[in-house]
Order: sequence, then structure tokens, then C-alpha cells
Amino acid sequence: MKKLIALALGTAVLLSGCGGSADSDAAEKYGSATLKLYNWGEYVGENLISDFEQEFGVKVIMEYFDSNEMMYTKLQAGDAYDVLIPSDYMIERLISEDMLQTLDLSNIPNISNLAEGVKQLPYDPDNTYSVPYFWGNVGIVYNHNNVDPADVEKQGYNLLLDTDYKGKLYVYDSERDSFMMALKALGYSMNTQSESEIEEAYNWLLQMNDTMDPAYVTDEVIDGMINGNKDIAVVYSGDATTILAENEDMSFFLPAEGTNLWSDAMVVPANAENPLLAHEFINYVLTHDASYDNSETVGYSSSNQEVLDEMSGADGIYAQNEAYLPRTEYAKDEVFEDNPVLKQKLAELWIKVKASH
Amino acid sequence: MKQYRTMALPYIVWMAGMIVAPMLLIVLYAFTDKGNDVATIRFSLENFARFFSDQVFMSVLKRSLFIAVITTAICILCGYPIAYVIANRSEKSKLFWILLITLPTWINMLVRTYAWMGILQDEGIINHLLSLVGLGPITMIHTSFAVVLGMVYNFIPFMILQIYTSLTKMDKSYLEAASDLGANRIQSFLRVTLPLSIPGVISGITLVFLPAVSSFFIPKLLGGGQYVLIGNVIETEFLTSGDWNFGSAISLVMAIIILFSMYLTKKADTDPAANGKENA
Amino acid sequence: MEKKQKHLFSKVLLGCTAVFFYAPILYIILFSFNSSRSLTKFAGFSLRWYEKMLSDSTMMQAVAYTIIIALLATLISTVVGTLTAIGLSKSRRLMRGIVEQVNNLPILNPEIVTGIGLLMFFSALGVKKGFLTLLLAHVMFCIPYVILSVTPKLRSLDPNLADAALDLGATPIQALWKVIVPQIRPGIISGALIAFTMSFDDFIISYFVTGNGVNNISILVYTMSKRVNPSINALSTLVILLITAVLFIVNIIPILKDKKGRKLT
Repeated sequence: MKKLIALALGTAVLLSGCGGSADSDAAEKYGSATLKLYNWGEYVGENLISDFEQEFGVKVIMEYFDSNEMMYTKLQAGDAYDVLIPSDYMIERLISEDMLQTLDLSNIPNISNLAEGVKQLPYDPDNTYSVPYFWGNVGIVYNHNNVDPADVEKQGYNLLLDTDYKGKLYVYDSERDSFMMALKALGYSMNTQSESEIEEAYNWLLQMNDTMDPAYVTDEVIDGMINGNKDIAVVYSGDATTILAENEDMSFFLPAEGTNLWSDAMVVPANAENPLLAHEFINYVLTHDASYDNSETVGYSSSNQEVLDEMSGADGIYAQNEAYLPRTEYAKDEVFEDNPVLKQKLAELWIKVKASH
Repeated sequence: MKQYRTMALPYIVWMAGMIVAPMLLIVLYAFTDKGNDVATIRFSLENFARFFSDQVFMSVLKRSLFIAVITTAICILCGYPIAYVIANRSEKSKLFWILLITLPTWINMLVRTYAWMGILQDEGIINHLLSLVGLGPITMIHTSFAVVLGMVYNFIPFMILQIYTSLTKMDKSYLEAASDLGANRIQSFLRVTLPLSIPGVISGITLVFLPAVSSFFIPKLLGGGQYVLIGNVIETEFLTSGDWNFGSAISLVMAIIILFSMYLTKKADTDPAANGKENA
Repeated sequence: MEKKQKHLFSKVLLGCTAVFFYAPILYIILFSFNSSRSLTKFAGFSLRWYEKMLSDSTMMQAVAYTIIIALLATLISTVVGTLTAIGLSKSRRLMRGIVEQVNNLPILNPEIVTGIGLLMFFSALGVKKGFLTLLLAHVMFCIPYVILSVTPKLRSLDPNLADAALDLGATPIQALWKVIVPQIRPGIISGALIAFTMSFDDFIISYFVTGNGVNNISILVYTMSKRVNPSINALSTLVILLITAVLFIVNIIPILKDKKGRKLT
């Protein structure tokens, strides 16, 4: 037993010792040489963090979340981070609750590299608080050998009610994206607050649930579609990029009824301990090399225009990939707005849809 | 023997801080409205009304309890013979088998569940083997079967461990006495071994039934999103809709139902050996 | 004849048990060598996930934290839990009943409830989140499992033994250590095993009580939100090998020593 304790303590000492590779110059310049980054899991380029650490002589402490709400819960409890990467509606909420710092754009000169599609986003049009990281749409991935492309184009989201494809579809298990799809199929805004429109969307989803035998999945959808387990799935364009790259039977389609234009962006919380270094990091992510690394590893659309062009261009790694380049400037596409009351209502209705068997 | 009583004191203090205090917070949330802070607490039963008046939530609750009962029953029926066989092996072999059964639980549950997903898939190993003998394919993934299988796989080691523990070091003189008195193998098992192992079975039930009711990863992955259990509802309330009040109310209801049923289970366990020692 | 049948039955049963428990494990090991990123379709043999795992310093650190926390939490909760269970068995029935029910709460509450409860608790106290809060939380949810495992053994314990020891002049501590503990050892061991398992595999509670870069393996796995990748399988394979090796050494060395000892005498 004593040996066990000694071993444990020894390892603990070793661990705390090996953490400090940061140098003192950096500490002097930024106040502290550590950056606390709170990001989605598996959502950063392979070498980005180690390159940043080397170039600036600092240490990056990583923590991860897998939903905006998880992150929000920890922030509310007072946990401090230097950089967060939440999604659009969550940034809107954080801004309205004064939980973010305004950015000093003079310290982020690379902001000029931003892609056209992520400029002037409605939740933060002047990048006062946030700088986009990844972005994309939500669309339909389908197996063009088993699903007639003409059907897809003609029906849009109503493809999910076409009983010819019963038992062949994955639906992403998220109340927002499901209601987005239903509301768009019915020709409404996905940010609607009209009770009757939501009721109609609810019935649309119930019909899908009762007649189509859908499988509700989250990230397993990527593996599932790569293996060709089902023929139709509604997914994020970034995941579609991965699916299309690994299974050539799959195609991607953005319905004419419009879709969700989403973005995840870097922000600095109000209680950040090292805002100077946070600015440095945000600026670094926008460089060509870092953005390229990010987009290459994760497969999501870059917020750097040059990288976006390069990757989707004729010689790019996503040249033939119809999911990589998001659709912009399409009038029926919308960005999610933050509305906790609505979100809660949709969450409850969504559970009822799934549980009504 | 009273001198040992004080040994429980530190934990009772600790329990008050680390278990009861957070639990009181949950109770507070359950009985209040949304959006209030310390200054403006408003008590209300609305969360409970909302839960009990909704047909969907009631059927979800029923289904969760049902799945947990089935899982527990299977764990007892399969776990008891396994534990019994292991307990009757040689010392070294016992240790080997117990470790063999515990080892898989040290691998991340999500990774293990992913492995089952792969195995049960329509084009997975089982259906592949079935097709070799001209059978199948059988749909297993996203069914109740898959959910129960996943739960049994995750929880049965605890049942086996508990029963095994109560079977080993059982005073062999009881068994000898029974056979001296002319009891045959089956009789002495039913009259001696089984009653003496009941406390172990009850601990096992606690360790399987309680987590089975509230688990949400296994139904989500093996049952698909349509397989909504009460644990999934609570998770959604806390992590997606951010309605802690309603989430707290549901988990409180669940806690009460389960604590009550555990109380009944314990009551049913009229083990004379235990009662006799009450005043020792 | 009857004996042979019984033998056969127990062999078949144990065989099935082994297959059931290890089919998914073999599957995990197989996919750690997958050349593609899929966890369900095997594309070819490769060691790339082992390279990725070893080059990922966050992951290696998480492994160390997981093991240290699990060992410490197991040690603390086993000692505290065993003493508490013994103390409770001598306490009045009412007290014991109450404590046993409260003790069930952490097992029965959905982890998210315990996790958020502790998050608010630690935040209210203003404790800096990290190693210590993580350890405290793990001790908190491990103790109930130990108590639950030790209690049934105590119930079948003959109380006269300890009394006799005390009458014969043993101090209470001697009676505890020499008489009671050996009798309930199987319960203590199984409690420790369960505590270790629970600590090793915990995600949600850990997630909400940790901070400042202290991650465990489960947190890394569950937050691989974009796509779980086989480096986790590589890691699992490594964990299996490591534990098997330790068990092997622990079990083999006494046998070897034993043999040597016998030769000498």
C-alpha cells in the first residue's frame, strides 16, 4: 500500500513538473505564459497547438466540451478560460449576459483574412466580441445509387416524408436542427415564435417519426453513412465533407427551402486571465498555415478566405467535394437566434416526437 | 463493541456536506419556478404537475423502470450461477476469474458500447456469421434487445462480484451440518447457501438496478435517439434546454420511487441471521 | 457421473462468460489497428492510432491523471468505507437505516444531478477546480460502493468473535485488524474493485468538478464530439496490456518466490 501511495505521489510530481515548458519572456510580455483554451473535442488542427506553443514560447492548457450548454454551465459556475469557441446563438447569449470582453481588433490584424461568408454575421456584425473559427450549413447527404437525385431536388426536406425511403434514414438528434428542417419544409422561418407554426412543424416531425422509422443519431451518423448503413441523412456540411471524402456513393444537397447557416467563433470571456495572449491566439488561428491545418484535420469549412479558395480550388484537397464550400448569400438561409424559452419548448417537443412510439 | 460506532461519524459529517447539501439544492430547484434567484424564491409544484400530467413522460418512466427490472432480473439469473461456479473453484482459479470479469469494466464504457454497436450492426459480425449458415440478417441495433444487452454487459460484473463475495468464506460448517442432517445437495443449497447469499444479491440489485434506471448513454447509442428513457429526459433538461428546475423535479421523483422500492426489497429480505445480530 | 456433468456445466458456463465479456474487447483491440478512422468498418492494418496516441500529450497526461485519481480514490474510499460500515453495523438501527438510504443517493441519482450539485457546491465554496476537487468528488461517489459491498459481509459475521478477542485483552484496534477485517476481506476487495472501476470510468461528474487542464480519459473520449477516433482503442488496448501485465507479475512473483523458498529448505 505504501508503495502505491509513493508511486502515485511520484507520478503527480512528475506531471506537475513536465507542464512548465513556457519561457519567461512570454510571461513578461503577456503577464502569464499559459493560455486556457476551451474548445470542442477533436476540433483543432493536428499541429496548431504545438506550433503556437513553440512560436510564442507559451503553454496551452486544453479543455473540451461537446455541447454549447455544457460549456455554458461551467462558465456560469465561474470557471475561467482565455479563449472559448462556442456557436452563433450561444455567443449571442453570452454577449447579452455581459460574459464576453470586447476584442481589440488592432491586436488581431489577420482579421482581414476572414472569408466573405463569415463577415457581418447577424449576432456580431462588426466582430466586436467574436472571430469566426469554422462555419457551414446543414444539408442532406444521400446515396445517389439508391436515391434518385431528381427526388431529392424536387422534394427537399420533404424527402424525409417519402415512404419509398422508409427505414433508410438517419436524423440528427438535435431539437434545433430537426425543427429547422420541419419549419423550412413548411416554408417558415426557423426562428419563428408563432405557436401555430411550431405546432405544424411538430406534426410534420410526428408524421416523419410515425411513417418513416428513422434512426436518431448524433456523431455516429458519420461512420454510419461512410459504411453506407442508410441512404439518407441530415448532417452538418463539415461532417458531410468527411462522409463524401470517404464514400464516393454519397452526394450532398442543400434544399431550396433554405437551411441553417451556422458558425463557431472564438471569443474571450470577461473573466479571462490572459486576454493579451488570447488575442495573439485568435490572430494566429487566422494565419494561412494554422487555418489550413485546422481545415485539413477537421474537414470543416475554413474562416480564412485564402484557405477556403485553395482547398475548394482545382488542386485543393476538397476540389471535388460538394459539401466543403458553404452556400452564402442565399435569401432563405438563416442564422439561429438565441431564444432560451423557444429552445426549451422545442427540446421538450422533440423528446415527445422521439418518445411517441 | 460500541467503541466502533464512532468510526462512522466522520463519514456521516462528510455525507452531510458532500451528498446531502448538493441534494438539498436539487430539492430547492425542484420546488421552485424558473428564473428566480436567491432574493425572489417562489415555491411551486408546477414542475411536478407538468411531469405527472403528461402521458409521454409517464410512458417514458414506465419504460425505464421496465427495462431496469428486466436488466436486473437477467443479471441475477445469469450472474448467480456464474458467481456460484467461480466461488467453488480453487483459490487461484477464483482470483483469475474474478479479475477476468472485472478487467473489461476498466475500459471506457463509451468505447465498449461502440464495440457492441459494431457487433450488432445490420452488417456486423453477428449477422455476417449468421449469413454464413444461411440465416439472417436480424435487426438488432436500435432495439430493446440491444439496450438490455448493453446494460447487462455493463452492470453484470457488479452483480457477480457481490454474489461471489457473499458465497466465499461462507461458513462451511453450516453446509456440513445440513448434510449430516440428511439434506441432499439441492436441499442444502435452497435452505443454507441461498439464504446466506441473499444480502449479496440485494447489494447486487442496488448496484444494477439503480444505475440502469438512470443510464442514458447506453440507450442513446444502442437504442438510437428514439429510445428515450428517463435518464435521457433528465440529461436533456439539464444540458440542452437548461431547465434545471424541471430536471431536478424529475430526478427527485425518480429518486423517491427507487428509494422506496429499495426499501421494500430490503424489507422483504427477512434474513434471520441479520436480525439476530441487531443488539450485538 | 453426476460430478462429471457438473464439471461440464461449469466449464461451459465459464466459457460462455469469457466469450461474452471478451468479444467486444477483441473488437476494440482489432479496431485499434484500423488504417481508417472508422470504429465499425475495418479498412486495413496500421499503427497510426498508436503513433497519434503517443504523440498526444493531453492524452498521455489524462492517462496519468486517471490512474492516480483512481488509485487514490480507491485507497481512501476503501479505508473510510470499511470503517464506516463497521461503525454502522454497531450503531442503532434507525441511524443505520438513514445512513444506508442517503448512501444510496449518489448511486441512484443520475450522474448529471450529482455533477451539477457538486459544481454548484464547489463554486459556492470558491475552491479552485482541478486535481483536488476531482479527487474529492471521486472519493464521494466511491465510498457508497464500498459500504454497499462490505455491509453484507458484516451481516454474516459472528459478533462473538470480536467480543472474545476483546475479552482476551486485545485492544479494539487489534480486534478490528486481526479479527474483523480478515473475515470481511472478500467484501473489502470487491468494494475496492468496484470503486476503482467507477473512478476509472467516470465522465459526467468528473467533467463538472474538474478544471485548469486536469482531464481524465473519459472526458477526452466523451468530448471527441466531432468523431471518436481509434486512438481511444489504442489507448484501451494499452490499458488492458498494462493491467494484465501488472496482474501477471503480482500473481506470478509470489509463486516463483514460493518455489525458490521450497527449493532452499
